[in-house]
Amino acid sequence: MRKVKTKDTELEVDLTESEVKYIKDFLKREPTTTELGMLDIMWSEHCSYKSSRPKLKQFEDAEQNYDYVLAGPGQDAGVIDIGDGYCLSFRIESHNHPSAIEPYHGAMTGIGGIIRDVLCMGVRPIALLDPLRFGPLKNNPHSQWLFKYVVKGIADYGNCTGIPTIGGEVEFDKSFENNCLVNVACIGFGPIEDFKHAPSRADYPGDYLVLMGGSTGRDGIHGVTFASRTLTEMSEADRPAVQIGDPFTKKMIIEATLEAIKTGYVRGCKDLGGGGISCALSELTGNGGTGAEIDISKIFTREPGMNSFEIMLSESQERMAFVVQSEGLEKVLDVFKKFEISHAVIGKTDDSKILKIFDGNNLVVNLTSEALAHSPVIQREEKKPSYIDELLTQKTPDLTIEIDKVIYTLIGSENICSKEWIYRQYDHEVGVRSVVKCGDGDSGVLRLIGTNKFLAASVGVNSKHSFLDPYNGAKGGLVEVSGNVIANGAKPRAMVNCCNFGNPEKPESYWFFSQAVQGMADFCRVMRIPVIGGNVSFYNEDDVSHTTIKPTPTIMIVGIIEGEKNIVTLPFKKSGNEILIIGDTKAELGGSEYNSVVYNIEGGNPPKVDENQVKRTWNFLFELYDKHFVKANHDVNKGGFVITVAEMCFKNNFGADLDLTNCFDNSLRNDEVLFSESVGRFIIESEPKDYEKILKIAKKNNVTVKKIGILISSPEINITGIKNSKDIKLDLNKMKNLYDITIPNIMEI
Amino acid sequence: MNIKIAVIQFPGSNCDLDTLHVLNNVISNGVEAELIWHNNFKESNYDGCVLPGGFSFGDYLRSGIIAAHSPALDQARVMLKDGRPIIGICNGFQILTEAQFLPGALLQNDSLKFICKWVNIKVENNKTAFSNKMKKDQILNIPIAHGEGRYFTDNLKELVENNQIVFRYVNNRGEITKEANPNGSMESIAGVCNLEQNCLGLMPHPERASELILSPKETTHGLLFFDSMIEFIKKKGAHNEKG
Repeated sequence: MRKVKTKDTELEVDLTESEVKYIKDFLKREPTTTELGMLDIMWSEHCSYKSSRPKLKQFEDAEQNYDYVLAGPGQDAGVIDIGDGYCLSFRIESHNHPSAIEPYHGAMTGIGGIIRDVLCMGVRPIALLDPLRFGPLKNNPHSQWLFKYVVKGIADYGNCTGIPTIGGEVEFDKSFENNCLVNVACIGFGPIEDFKHAPSRADYPGDYLVLMGGSTGRDGIHGVTFASRTLTEMSEADRPAVQIGDPFTKKMIIEATLEAIKTGYVRGCKDLGGGGISCALSELTGNGGTGAEIDISKIFTREPGMNSFEIMLSESQERMAFVVQSEGLEKVLDVFKKFEISHAVIGKTDDSKILKIFDGNNLVVNLTSEALAHSPVIQREEKKPSYIDELLTQKTPDLTIEIDKVIYTLIGSENICSKEWIYRQYDHEVGVRSVVKCGDGDSGVLRLIGTNKFLAASVGVNSKHSFLDPYNGAKGGLVEVSGNVIANGAKPRAMVNCCNFGNPEKPESYWFFSQAVQGMADFCRVMRIPVIGGNVSFYNEDDVSHTTIKPTPTIMIVGIIEGEKNIVTLPFKKSGNEILIIGDTKAELGGSEYNSVVYNIEGGNPPKVDENQVKRTWNFLFELYDKHFVKANHDVNKGGFVITVAEMCFKNNFGADLDLTNCFDNSLRNDEVLFSESVGRFIIESEPKDYEKILKIAKKNNVTVKKIGILISSPEINITGIKNSKDIKLDLNKMKNLYDITIPNIMEI
Repeated sequence: MNIKIAVIQFPGSNCDLDTLHVLNNVISNGVEAELIWHNNFKESNYDGCVLPGGFSFGDYLRSGIIAAHSPALDQARVMLKDGRPIIGICNGFQILTEAQFLPGALLQNDSLKFICKWVNIKVENNKTAFSNKMKKDQILNIPIAHGEGRYFTDNLKELVENNQIVFRYVNNRGEITKEANPNGSMESIAGVCNLEQNCLGLMPHPERASELILSPKETTHGLLFFDSMIEFIKKKGAHNEKG
């Protein structure tokens, strides 16, 4: 923070000295306090992506290279054409800093913001997904408090707005203890026509600018600059920078916005999020190549006596800005009146390319749209942290504990156990679209009424893997999250990402970011998955305990399933059917749950990704799907494949007889066979009569497939064929109990 | 005979479109359902009405209380007296108790948390406008999704005597147990009707249990509610054909 002299007084800003000089040179005068405040926000890391932009250029241009991508990065949300005249819009972003300070309203307003992003594309939000990260829960009241209220915030907001929360992901790790991660994703669905009506631009001069929704108050002033800083002991005092969520008003905004767009007179639409009205107006006019004159005395405020600085910088929630064709103004305002929602005509667009803001007769801002929208870029240094190489060579001790004990411990560990405690609190069925519900599949599957299509969506990444190798960790995240939608029968259509990292001013933190982006860009290019949006959250570290979060490039994949008969689900279906493992198991215990839960070590050799092998596996699976050979599918994830098999048994009370003889590379240790988290593997159920045909298709695609056992009707897993070890018998009822009780035991008094 | 049903949309309703979808796209026997904004609802145009689930007026103050004072409820009261069928689902049930169409109140779940899951309910009274197509003691699979669904009444005796308890939460075997009661409702009550049996309120969501594709147990028990409603209207004679 530094004090800068302005035309009228002086102001504390986060801008660097060189940025302040740049502003003064550009304006050829001293900025007003309001102008400087606006620039401070617009040029903050959160709004301007000034540190991340040079790296994000590595993603291929989605709009240019994929004909079905209608809107790519830079828009409020990405949009893809799914055929039949319909489109899907989606985005993911972070709300980490506010949630770390005030979990309930932090999470609420996170959901609120992402809903608005999708809404501004002109389509109805139909699904939410929430990847979350906290410190370990056990014996940790602070983590429990954050966890409880983040979940409650998401539940209260999503449930009230009537948008089902269809999926999510949680990781518990010490590095997230003070900096919890709350990432929020929203998916919208609607006719392509409606999307085209409402781009986030003011393209025409002479249109009215209408502000609609909640009133403008003093809450959330400087939320984005707060999010562009490291948390300190003083951060608790920043609680006023956290906005308050109002899901009821949001529900009204959703309905009013969709109805207003249907009038055909809305020519542009933009939500007021980080940076408030400053950000919205400068982006609308900046992107549309127009200018505007605004009178902020027209803006309805929550409290009297707010000055222009406060109004322009307020981040009060539940507000939208509309660009309305002049002849349709009355029609649009009638819609807002029907919903009894506050609104005001605050100005008009013109062709000046200048944003002029008046407070009554006083001109308080006179800036070119360009100045606001185009911050300088900062080239950051990157350096691989010195401790990484040492971690990579860390050895897992020889397996001396009994294998069944290890499996019982793993299934009840916080990162693997059932997350039912969370999703029972989310209304995941509102909208009558939820076909594969929470807990029944690797991804959430929704039918798209009006088409014969289904969407499958999943979120996540493994931060323990990314910590050891951010390049392969980010790729591994893509393999895993894509694998989730593929396991349900969907073809991945597009991805969005949310990069959560530490302070980019530190070369070590920036290296993690740089590597992860490179990994995502490389993978997506080979696999032909367009990147249609992203969000970067830096400064996820705290100066109190000097902890930086594990690098977390969260990924969301949305896929499409053609027709109901092509949906595949997770639970095993019929005893006597065979259990096959697809893909190669390697000596990759680095960053595994096994290493972490049993030995409390973070290092080792983490999973690597070979895109070409992944591609062959996916092609192979889709060939099996075409022939309907796959009765159940679940991708192998945390804890290794035995955990995967157990999870598939639970729902319908099946068991499994597994014989591992000759199924795995003979050079692997037993713990590597059982607990490696090599990515790109699946467990499928198939009928015995199809086995030979499946092997043929596998051979053609050069994919490893091994029959590891058969389904039985008694709830137990019997494992034979483990090198130099006695057979193992696992009681599935006991496993299910351990799986179910972990979180309730900690969270319920 | 053309049957017209109103789905009343309050600010904050969020199962309105879902219910409309089932009435117009799933049921195919001459029903025409209309979404109608609460201030614009005119009872004389309809044979029956649905108060859908959601969070009317944000559930601010107390769930259902603000909507209970909407002009829509004055209109609905005319319908009620006239014997036309009215169903309140979830938040609609809360509104109907607040408006005193139905006895009792809905309190916060005993777990203090919102609960979304499929449950079983048992038919206690199959003579009402919304259960006449069901069998007595039939077990229905149906989902709940609410934070305030714990039914309470200080007049249980009368409710029992008048056969106003229509549904109770039960386990797979049809038994009333503490474990099968998801929210701590008194006597495991999931739904009640008025004395005349033309008005029903229940916490579970029939509109989410009306299509095979959405049902984990491959049932469509939700349809029975709407089919019963239509049967009731047919027997009574459509309202807008009488005048």
